[in-house]
Amino acid sequence: MDPAASRPAVVIDNGSGYTKMGFAGNVEPCFIVPTVVALNESFLNQSRTSSKANWIAQHNAGVMADLDFFIGDEALAKSRSSSTYSLSYPIQHGQVENWDSMERFWQQCIFNYLRCDPEDHYFLLTESPLTAPESREYTGEIMFETFNVPGLYIAVNSVLALAAGYTTSKCEMTGVVVDVGDGATHVVPVADGYVIGSSIKSVPIAGKDVTLFVQQLMRERGENIPPEDSFEVARKVKEMYCYTCSDIVKEFNKHDKEPSKYIRQWRGIKPKTGAPYSCDIGYERFLGPEVFFNPEIYSSDFSTPLPVVIDKCIQSAPIDTRRALYKNIVLSGGSTMFKDFHRRLQRDLKKIVDARVHASDARLNGEIKSQPVEVNVVSHSVQRFAVWFGGSVLASTPEFFAACHTKAEYEEYGASICRTNPVFKGMY
Amino acid sequence: MILLQSHSRFLLQTLLNRLQNLEKGIELDHHWVEFDDVRYHVQVSTKNPHVLLLSVSLPPPSSETIFVNGLPFGAIDAIKAAYGATVQIKDPPRDGFNLTLKINLSKLPANQDQRQSFLVKIASVREVVLGAPLRVILKHLASRTVAPDIDPLVALVHRPRESFFLVPKADKVTVVYPMRFNDSIDTVLATSFLQEFVEARRTAGLHNTPPCSWSLTPPQELKEVSADALLANAGFVTFVIFPRHVEGPKLDRTVWNLSTFHAYVSYHVKCSEGFMHTRMRRRVESLIQALDRARPDLEKKTAMNRSFKRLGLKKESRNSSFS
Ligand SMILES: Nc1ncnc2c1ncn2[C@@H]1O[C@H](COP(=O)(O)OP(=O)(O)OP(=O)(O)O)[C@@H](O)[C@H]1O
Ligand SMILES: [Mg+2]
Repeated sequence: MDPAASRPAVVIDNGSGYTKMGFAGNVEPCFIVPTVVALNESFLNQSRTSSKANWIAQHNAGVMADLDFFIGDEALAKSRSSSTYSLSYPIQHGQVENWDSMERFWQQCIFNYLRCDPEDHYFLLTESPLTAPESREYTGEIMFETFNVPGLYIAVNSVLALAAGYTTSKCEMTGVVVDVGDGATHVVPVADGYVIGSSIKSVPIAGKDVTLFVQQLMRERGENIPPEDSFEVARKVKEMYCYTCSDIVKEFNKHDKEPSKYIRQWRGIKPKTGAPYSCDIGYERFLGPEVFFNPEIYSSDFSTPLPVVIDKCIQSAPIDTRRALYKNIVLSGGSTMFKDFHRRLQRDLKKIVDARVHASDARLNGEIKSQPVEVNVVSHSVQRFAVWFGGSVLASTPEFFAACHTKAEYEEYGASICRTNPVFKGMY
Repeated sequence: MILLQSHSRFLLQTLLNRLQNLEKGIELDHHWVEFDDVRYHVQVSTKNPHVLLLSVSLPPPSSETIFVNGLPFGAIDAIKAAYGATVQIKDPPRDGFNLTLKINLSKLPANQDQRQSFLVKIASVREVVLGAPLRVILKHLASRTVAPDIDPLVALVHRPRESFFLVPKADKVTVVYPMRFNDSIDTVLATSFLQEFVEARRTAGLHNTPPCSWSLTPPQELKEVSADALLANAGFVTFVIFPRHVEGPKLDRTVWNLSTFHAYVSYHVKCSEGFMHTRMRRRVESLIQALDRARPDLEKKTAMNRSFKRLGLKKESRNSSFS
């Protein structure tokens, strides 16, 4: 037997905001780090200004620049403390945009964070449902050629999120995954483990937009936050204090009546001078998450609320799957973590569905009574890293190793084998 | 960042996290694997939230290396010396592991700095255990003696079923690594990396570092070792360690660097492969740009023709840069 198959597979979920990495068979990833690389570009700029003939110097400068980089929180800290580092976000809106940064990011994940030998482990990586097959080939090339991994499986993150909701009592691989991450929101219907590609809906609003909106609200109110820190503060405020309200007008009233109960304080230290400062957190606590339900308060280009998008998505799926889809709407991604997010979604969606049922009943004059549609938004404890967790569950089944593309296959057929990855259902 | 740190990043993070949430008493059960097949398992039960069980499994030794009760020689003493009474050794260890430590989290040093360095020490458990025999030998070197009843040639495990070799003398210890790689490209890169490495030692102002050499065939010191243990496809690296390299605080660093030398080389090989890919990608891009610019206007007439041509050129330039 392949000795690598006796070790736990490495599961890495690279998101636009955060990368979740760890070993299969665990309930939590080992590390959740921002997907960002700090590169030292000073070497490169130096040599560009010098004469062209100075090839060796230029080359050496390039070598140094290639070695001098950081990832994750260290990268953010480096860029804050010194101006020689510039940040590169290799993944934008769920797609890899910069393969050089991505390769370095993986290198550090494997050697410096997980500290494992990539030759010893099978790898499970994730991609967004809209990723192009070419991108999968690139990923395969890097994994097999740079890191010599013995086997690789690239899974669609929504399918994994669905697997995460799976409990031993119900064998459900049909459902709608609502993945609200940092850079992209996808509503993905899955039937028996297969993504219904034509019905995928995307919403251009995700976690980063909530952060930007919170930042904008705080800035407009004139809160005293150092500009270089304001995005990070907004993100923390969002993660710690934001919640979903049931009715925006009532919530405004509540805040106005009892400000002391709802207004929170933020205390920070100015990065440049080290002086402490504090500011108030008010309406943004509920207005932030509201952008998913009333997008027009944030964006003038996009105005369809998330529950409507989900409903449209299910309505466009094959008719025989719709009931099953309404019954199993699974949340995934960090931006579904707002308090009561699933309740609000469930209520709004139920309203839409009930209205349609009523309308059709009225049309039929009560001759045929339609069966009520069960709407169920599932929320579970591992929602924040549901994709990773699903990957961890999948990759710890014996079938996983058979479904992987192996290094031998890669060498025989080339990178094109990575274009398709079989759904293996035996595990359920 | 080019050097591997001696503590497990995840283990340290777990310990710190635990301490911060000690009172919450959350259950913990996590397993993971590090390079050279060192496996870890940590467990905390809700019943006993102050006790953390840490199990470690080591790479299986080859026939030349001796383990006593599943551990390298001197390991038990090293553990006791490093951790004192806060840590107990559980006998027998957890199934499938070589060692299980029982760590009492309520008995850690109160002083912040001391506590931190104690936790780092626990997170470096692999160095303490796997490096124990090497530490014994180098400690004797520091006092210019040879450890009593030690063989003239010692084999120590560093990778699954692979050993490196030591020749301990009172004034110097010779360390020899047979270098093995699975992948043919890795072998080639590692060979040239090692030659460069030895060269660098000779040229730059590194006179205080241990002398090192590389050879394709086993050096003199290993003539008694069985041929199996000497299968190497990237040659042999020899370091000579003098007492000045293991004085006082330098000892820890030296032990760690010597026991992870193979991992260090393999990490660098992977880095350089990534580095070459970056270069290739840049090269392809710049060639495509050059070709795009160089195309005579004539060909730009039909859009069809153009895109067809570009496809062809892309392929060509790619191949040429890869060859
Ligand atoms: N407790 C929380 N409450 C609200 N938002 C949170 C919370 N924790 C994390 N987030 C937000 O969730 C987002 C990250 O989510 P996630 O890790 O799922 O995204 P991602 O996988 O990196 O991105 P994508 O899937 O879009 O590529 C960030 O915007 C973060 O600020
Ligand atoms: Mg994601």
